[in-house]
Amino acid sequence: MIKKLPAAAGVALLSLALAACGGSSGGTASSGGKTTLSYWLWDANQQPAYQQCATDFQKANPNISVKITQLGWDDYWTKLTTGFVSGSAPDVFTNHLAKYPEFVTKRTILPIDDLVKQDKVDTGIYAEGLADLWVGADGKRYGLPKDWDTIAVFYNKKLTEKAGITDAQLKEMAWNPTDGGTYEKIIAKLTVDKNGKRGDEPGFDKSKVETYGLWLESSGNGLGQTQWSMYAVSNGWKFTDKNPWGSRYNYDDPKFQETITWWKSLIDKGYMPPLKATEGVAWNDMLSAGKAAMATNGSWMIGSVAGAKSDKFEPAFAPLPTGPSGTRMSMFNGLADSIYAGTKNKDAAWKWVKYLASPACQNVVGQHAVVFPAIPAAVEVAQKKFGEKGVDVEAFTVNVKDKTTFLFPITDHAAQIESIMKPAMDAVIGGTAPASSLSKANEQVNALFK
Amino acid sequence: MADTVSVPTPRPGAPAGRRRSPQARPHVRRDHRAALFFILPALLGFGVFYLWPTIRGVYLSFTDYSLLTPPAWSGVANYTKLIGDASFWRSLAVTLEYVVINIGVQTIVAIALAVLMHRLTRSSFLRGVLLLPYLVANVVVALVWYWMADYTLGVVNQFLGWIGFGPLGFFGEEHLVIPTIALVNVWRHMGYTALLIFAGLQAIPRSLYEAAAVDGSTEWRSFWRITLPLLRPVLAMVLVITVIGSFQIFDTVAVTTQGGPADASKVVYYYIFEKAFSQFDFGYASAMGVALIVILAGVSLFQLRLLRAGESDLS
Amino acid sequence: MTAVSMPATKTRAAAPAERRGRRVRIGRIAAWAVLWLFVLITLFPFYWMLRTSLSNNRMLFSDPSSWLPVAPTLGGYERVFGLATLQEAQAQGGSGASIRFWLYLRNSVIVAAVITVGQVFFSAMAAYAFARLRWPGRDKVFFLFLTALMVPPIFIHLPNFELMKNLGLLNTFAGIVLPYLFMTPFAVFFLRQFFLNVSREVEEAAMIDGAGYPRIFFRLILPMSAAPIATLAILTYINSWNEYFWPLLVTDPTNDDVRVLTVALGLFKSQTPQGSPDWAGLMAATLVAALPVLLLFAAFGKRIVNSIQFSGLK
Repeated sequence: MIKKLPAAAGVALLSLALAACGGSSGGTASSGGKTTLSYWLWDANQQPAYQQCATDFQKANPNISVKITQLGWDDYWTKLTTGFVSGSAPDVFTNHLAKYPEFVTKRTILPIDDLVKQDKVDTGIYAEGLADLWVGADGKRYGLPKDWDTIAVFYNKKLTEKAGITDAQLKEMAWNPTDGGTYEKIIAKLTVDKNGKRGDEPGFDKSKVETYGLWLESSGNGLGQTQWSMYAVSNGWKFTDKNPWGSRYNYDDPKFQETITWWKSLIDKGYMPPLKATEGVAWNDMLSAGKAAMATNGSWMIGSVAGAKSDKFEPAFAPLPTGPSGTRMSMFNGLADSIYAGTKNKDAAWKWVKYLASPACQNVVGQHAVVFPAIPAAVEVAQKKFGEKGVDVEAFTVNVKDKTTFLFPITDHAAQIESIMKPAMDAVIGGTAPASSLSKANEQVNALFK
Repeated sequence: MADTVSVPTPRPGAPAGRRRSPQARPHVRRDHRAALFFILPALLGFGVFYLWPTIRGVYLSFTDYSLLTPPAWSGVANYTKLIGDASFWRSLAVTLEYVVINIGVQTIVAIALAVLMHRLTRSSFLRGVLLLPYLVANVVVALVWYWMADYTLGVVNQFLGWIGFGPLGFFGEEHLVIPTIALVNVWRHMGYTALLIFAGLQAIPRSLYEAAAVDGSTEWRSFWRITLPLLRPVLAMVLVITVIGSFQIFDTVAVTTQGGPADASKVVYYYIFEKAFSQFDFGYASAMGVALIVILAGVSLFQLRLLRAGESDLS
Repeated sequence: MTAVSMPATKTRAAAPAERRGRRVRIGRIAAWAVLWLFVLITLFPFYWMLRTSLSNNRMLFSDPSSWLPVAPTLGGYERVFGLATLQEAQAQGGSGASIRFWLYLRNSVIVAAVITVGQVFFSAMAAYAFARLRWPGRDKVFFLFLTALMVPPIFIHLPNFELMKNLGLLNTFAGIVLPYLFMTPFAVFFLRQFFLNVSREVEEAAMIDGAGYPRIFFRLILPMSAAPIATLAILTYINSWNEYFWPLLVTDPTNDDVRVLTVALGLFKSQTPQGSPDWAGLMAATLVAALPVLLLFAAFGKRIVNSIQFSGLK
């Protein structure tokens, strides 16, 4: 789940387009005293888990039935928006941090403070910081957290072993913007050219690379969630003046720009593919095709990547490298369920939201082992289940355990910022502009807040 | 399909049908009434589903409208913003580049294909094969090529490798992305366009070619002296339609690069979409839509004049 | 349909020079080569789609350059037809969401057929009025129609959606079909060009015989223009078949009673788990979705393609 960046979106498909307005969907129907709630989510992998929650919920509340609809990421937001226009959005839907500020401004989702207070819901049971993400700029709460995600290094164990790199080494990687540290050394070693020469060997031909040490998913736009945010923040950089609800971005900070300069240098050295290679086949397919040895990405991809195991690809996960600050830093992002302001079944909708965020449902989600639930006890369940499938996910949970996370930057104007930062970052990573050019983009971004 | 179209018997009691004297005045009046009868359904559809929404769109272009809150009148603010919006002008330039490449290549290829088919074979199988790409939805065509033209794993770059060319970042390089997208759409439309032109070719009397051949004219000469001039009316129609369609390039971009890299493929239609549906600035998007309509109308008028397709035995 | 003869071949006897004959032959071989090259370019992506649709999606990229299906399986097709269980589907990288393929197929056939019949017929009527009848403001109205060609669909979809919502036609066949039922500027423009060229003498002769306009239209103009009308009909059918955004807009994701195949295909695609799409399933779905049009074309195509003529162009 979570933020799918446009570049990853060969996928984005049809949907995207258009859609002005949504169908008369969702909505609610009451027949014979029975209330039907509509609930939307976008990750097909999670649907079985929430279907189970719905079944349990209906057992406890025989007069409410929940109808779950899953739509792909792009269709999801389009149909949701048009649903708001036609007054037929779903009663409850999975919400995203990049989207909800807009919904708050347009008053399309309900604040739930009164309900939380009335039912004495404890927002302290969730992993640290998650509940705060859903308090709007107006100080009101717009959702209860349901899960979280972090970033780690995905790698192909077949290739690291061939290069003589041990798992222990991969767990202890350190990074700095000057020479890249042990992290860059490992990336170099994992890079192999057509003649079999490795990136750290003399005679390495960077124009004919067969396997890249680190894959480039995209330029990361203004967020760099899975691309560069972990380096920049571990270098002491902050996205905004404050988070959440900052009003000034810091893309002009030298700490940010030196990080980006280093990151880009991996391309020049031949350790990371050029930007032009990022359009087309998705990064995880490059990993399984053996075109890359490592890639940084989010915990929501664990299932897909682990499932692509073949005789060429043995998926494994390593924690992020530590930075100059001495710690590793992963962006911490979480989803929540929000209630549509136009719902005709506010009480039933609240019951369902409350249930989704309760230990009962969270444990069910944990059992399905597709995502990390928001409640720490349920996370342990998930971790165990992942382990039973032969997948070690400690690389993702370590950040939460060590409290080495930083929160997803929440501000207004997310869509406009994206449209400014995408071409700016593309230009830097594509090599047509220096990292210092980001200062100008930063001015444009900050002008949005005036 | 033809059967579904040629609706059976004329209605005997049809209003203006029975009068005998084709005198000037009643003739004209009869014309009027019949015209109304014939034009009415289309006029209705046009008014309700084209004209009205267009008028509303024009109205919205003078408002501040975010979809989620009602439109608020803002005068010409959107238009003044438009004039100073460098991204808009850049997107127009990008679109123009696309149209020139797309139409240029497509028209030449289609004429070539049509002439080849016309001169070489009657095989309707062959024509059917060339029409195949048109049967596949736009977005799927885009996805298939996006994938086949991948820099690292794409089969197209493998071909290039065999004949000794380095891999090309078809969708990922700023100077290649628009030509690539243009050619992908040429692939989808060339057979269809060729078929339209082929139909025009069939109407050219064979005797003209035979006479030319007797006079010792080569195929090449016949093409320039007979085929092309006689093809003009059909070409005019094909061009007007394809050029306008070409300006509205959107799906391919939305499905593949989403405007990147570095806005190199951000065509005007995609920019409008982005403003409207991802930034909810529907008023501004409408203003850009109006500008686009004006530009297209200008281009078409120019084209029609150039090709003199408007000529008819009626005017 | 005039017989297509090869004047160049026929008349070669008239041009005695041997060399010229050889040149013509080499030219013809080269021409054939070019034609076949285009056929190859046209067909190759279809082969690639077929090859991918028969691959196991999870394994697809373990051998990206293979010319044959990778770990061959019919799984992609099973997912499209909703025959695979959730576990089977997800094991091969699909989503396992249920698909009522035959219903969507039926819906697509209904929508495309109704639009084709209505649009072609009403557009033909309008085209006749523009091409053959004299009435005040004719050229102005025609120009207005023509300008509608320049209105980007994105521009008018939102107001049309509001209209459908107010008429209570969301989620109905009527809602999907109506905007395309009465005319498209292209159809009117296309047919007018043909009608302009129908011989006026024939029409006047019929009029002297006492035929009214409707009679002339149905008995004379339509039959005489059967070929272009058939062409337009098949193009309209294909376009309606492939239409995606409008049906997506006016239908409800939670209710698939009137969902058409393209929308189902789009949803199928975006249902895939995060990351890369279920390529095998998507390609299988694409081929399956193209199949009905393909069959239609195989059945009528020969006749239609052969009979397309721009009659009487001067």
